[in-house]
Amino acid sequence: MRPKTSVGAWVSAVVVLVATAGARPCVGQESRIGNLIGHAPAGKKVYRRYCILCHGPDGDGTGENAMWIDPKPRDFTLAVFKCRSTPSGTLPTDEDLFEAMSRGFVTTNMPAWLPLSHQNRADAVAYIKTFSPKWSTLKPGTPIAIPPEPAATIESILRGRGLFQKMECWKCHGPAGHGDGQSAKTLTDNKENPIPPYNFSTGSRFKCGVTNRDLYRIFMTGLDGTPMPSFADDLKPGEAWDLVHFLRTLQPLETPEAAIWKAWLASHAKDLKPIGPAGSGQ
Amino acid sequence: MVRGFRRGAGSVQGSWLVSGVVTGACLVVAMAVSGGRSRAYTAYSLAVHKTAAIPAFARKYGLACSACHTAWPELNAFGQRFRDNGYQLMNDRDSPIWQNPSYIPVTFRITPNWHRESATKQPVDATPGNPATTGPGTVTVSGFDLSGMDLWTAGTLYKNISFVLLPSSDNTGSFHFEAAFVRFDNLWNSHWVNFKFGKFELDNLVSEKRFLFLSGNGGAYQAYHFGPVTDTLGFTNFGLGDNQIGAELSGHSENSYTRYGIAVLSNTDGAVGLPASQSYDTYLTFSHAIDAGALGVERVGAYAYIGRRPTYFQTSGGAPIPGTGLGNKSFYQIGVAGDFFFGDFELLPLFLHANDNAYLATSTPGNVALPAGARDAKWNAAFLEAHYYVSPQLVFTGRYETVRMSQQADPALPSDLGNIDAYSGGVRLYPIMFSRAGLSWHTEVSAVRTRGSTFAPTDGVWTSSVFTGLDFDF
Amino acid sequence: MRRQYVWIVAAVGLVGSALGARGAPPAMAGAISGKVTYTGTPPKMKPIDMAKEPSCAKQHATPVTTENVVTGPGNALGYVVVYISAGDPGSSAPSEAVRYDQKGCQYIPHVAVMQVSQPLEIYNDDQTSHNIHPLAKVNPEWNKSQPIGAPPIHTTWEKPEFIPVKCNVHPWMHGWFLVLTTSHYAVTGEDGGFSLKGLPPGKYTLTAWQEQFGTQTQDVTISGTETKTVDFVFKARAY
Repeated sequence: MRPKTSVGAWVSAVVVLVATAGARPCVGQESRIGNLIGHAPAGKKVYRRYCILCHGPDGDGTGENAMWIDPKPRDFTLAVFKCRSTPSGTLPTDEDLFEAMSRGFVTTNMPAWLPLSHQNRADAVAYIKTFSPKWSTLKPGTPIAIPPEPAATIESILRGRGLFQKMECWKCHGPAGHGDGQSAKTLTDNKENPIPPYNFSTGSRFKCGVTNRDLYRIFMTGLDGTPMPSFADDLKPGEAWDLVHFLRTLQPLETPEAAIWKAWLASHAKDLKPIGPAGSGQ
Repeated sequence: MVRGFRRGAGSVQGSWLVSGVVTGACLVVAMAVSGGRSRAYTAYSLAVHKTAAIPAFARKYGLACSACHTAWPELNAFGQRFRDNGYQLMNDRDSPIWQNPSYIPVTFRITPNWHRESATKQPVDATPGNPATTGPGTVTVSGFDLSGMDLWTAGTLYKNISFVLLPSSDNTGSFHFEAAFVRFDNLWNSHWVNFKFGKFELDNLVSEKRFLFLSGNGGAYQAYHFGPVTDTLGFTNFGLGDNQIGAELSGHSENSYTRYGIAVLSNTDGAVGLPASQSYDTYLTFSHAIDAGALGVERVGAYAYIGRRPTYFQTSGGAPIPGTGLGNKSFYQIGVAGDFFFGDFELLPLFLHANDNAYLATSTPGNVALPAGARDAKWNAAFLEAHYYVSPQLVFTGRYETVRMSQQADPALPSDLGNIDAYSGGVRLYPIMFSRAGLSWHTEVSAVRTRGSTFAPTDGVWTSSVFTGLDFDF
Repeated sequence: MRRQYVWIVAAVGLVGSALGARGAPPAMAGAISGKVTYTGTPPKMKPIDMAKEPSCAKQHATPVTTENVVTGPGNALGYVVVYISAGDPGSSAPSEAVRYDQKGCQYIPHVAVMQVSQPLEIYNDDQTSHNIHPLAKVNPEWNKSQPIGAPPIHTTWEKPEFIPVKCNVHPWMHGWFLVLTTSHYAVTGEDGGFSLKGLPPGKYTLTAWQEQFGTQTQDVTISGTETKTVDFVFKARAY
């Protein structure tokens, strides 16, 4: 009896080992958001109920309502996403997709799916990953390191203003950030659809969030699929925070940066060189 | 009755499913036992449509019906938030100015149908034409029919100003205004402060306007309309399911998991034209939901309606002057309700306790002595409704309801006079589900047993309905 | 313009022969050469208005024209990429980088051909910032800014693909990255001529690609050290 039991124990141990090894989650069939694990089969039901009429049964953004919507629904088959914490050209993390789905996209028809349970949203993320083979062949990028935000000071804002000029953001976003730069009208996304640059003077939410950190991430990872590039190769983290502080002054919101800027402008407005093409007073 | 559901065997899901099946089986048995008779055919034709699925929203935003509705017209958590936000997605594209000018937020809904109504213990002449032979009999009628029609418009007048205008007709095309209000949403940029003014549905956690039943005997919640039989003149003219007229302050958390409402209402049960007296009703609700992971969102709430009704009026030359009610007596209805999901299985329980002042319960004017021994009328009502969503386009429903008088206004009456047991069940199949229009093939059976007929207070009167129709809106 | 074509053809020829040197010894290898021409009427190339970018406009004495169909004397077609699409066992990526310049608000060369995993270096030679936006579908799509004076961008492509490239700031800038598995390719100049050397004996499929007129294929068999002549004729459409 004894030997049989021990053999049985070994066999079952090996079987368990092999089974769990073989039970490695198939990439793209699962999502991990914090402690939550989402499953694609459950996500398919969520998708059919909530997503299919815009994003289409094949996830390529050609749902029956897509033709009436501008901007167009995301084409998941390309695995190109605007809102990521990862560098341009890399896949977003599961959390990025989860947060984008929960937050919705302002000035689009993509709602904030916040009232859905966390599990539902995690399952939907897992299912969305089945639309593109890239999720099985590529790994998500490594989220960029965002250092803590330094205090907003007038010096930071002025440096940021200099960067706005130097990086030529104004060519699309306009000298005052009104989205009326010289190239704004000709901008198209990766499907050749016209797309406007963000107009800071509306004060509306950004496509990818509302905080200073979100803003930092937007131009340090770029909005893939759109004309908005990544400036990660061109700005050091300290410079990026300076730019964030300046960009806040372009919005009609009550932010600490806007208050500092207004106070400084009251006495120093004439010291400013206008933003714009070289020779326009630069 | 609640005891019947504590089957206990197997998982929670299993026992609820069993009780759902039992409910369905019970009503089939009830139909067989009662011979399927109904007296409620007149009640049915007045049961104008329950409203509130609006393809116009689906057209505006390009969403599927199933995005906001478990099965239209019942709302899911996402639809609840959309409604709480004042029919806005809060994406800076809600105002009419962002829409194509050809977009009009209007939906029409009507249900052509075939139905059969039956009622037992009706006064029927054994020999037709001979009034001397009147006795208890069963009356059954059936045929093709139309439901009432809803002409529902709702949406935004501007960012954070929303509206509803709902002219609704019975099946002859005679219109009334079921709802009409303006709502100021997200006041001071806070989703906790919203102000609604006009005629509207009470913020019941379990909405009768957006539920999945249409038949004569199943198309209303007993708990939302019950009144003691002793109130023969309808002094307490009220039902939680009736739209009321007044003003409401409401609020919700960002995902609408926590919600509250405080309403001040006319004491006319939503009627217009100022027959009201100088008192106002109050309605309070509160609910909270939790994210139960793979099971779904679980919601529980409490409510209280406190009202006063006049019992006589000032008169002019002996005739009552409308709107000048006197002798206000009070009533209240309080309770708890829930909305629980177990994956594709939904349970909606409700419990209600009601109390009508003795004057109201006996239809006694306040300036006259109460009949000897008259007491407040008290009753408890409950229902348990179950839905099973096979897919967003197929749902099975079942419901058991009960009303139990706990204290009759007239102590001489049997304690169970007026008690009700009701059973309903049905299926809705949505062959198409696009954004532009909706169609559901709705089939339902329901049976109600009320204690007390014109012949004997101990009689059980069965009224039942069989209904099948094509419920469409566009 | 002409001079640049000659430079490209020369560079490609050099690289091509260097690559060919890795394969069979030149003495034992055959070659394919030929000419790409068109029939019909090709679309007229339009002059590009660079007024919005004065720092580029002033680099061109006369406005440059669009480059989607570049023609030469004798109905020659330039910027046609001719490559072995089958029959070639493939070779490992060379370590020499392919260079892509943004100069005068144009992509030079208009079509850059490289092998899978071959280094690509992108330079901004202008006094304006550009953003490089390769519209890849099989490879990851990325979009990076390159301000004035920024260092070159180094990148590689891991999968074969024909990738359109654009600059969003300057909407007239269009170019191509052609990522091939083969080392045997050539880009025609304004004379429409191409030459693929160092081909071991075997059966090959030769493909010619022009960005507007599509692709054509021909099968070629090399038995020894001969040079086979293969010509392609594209039907030009006016639009």
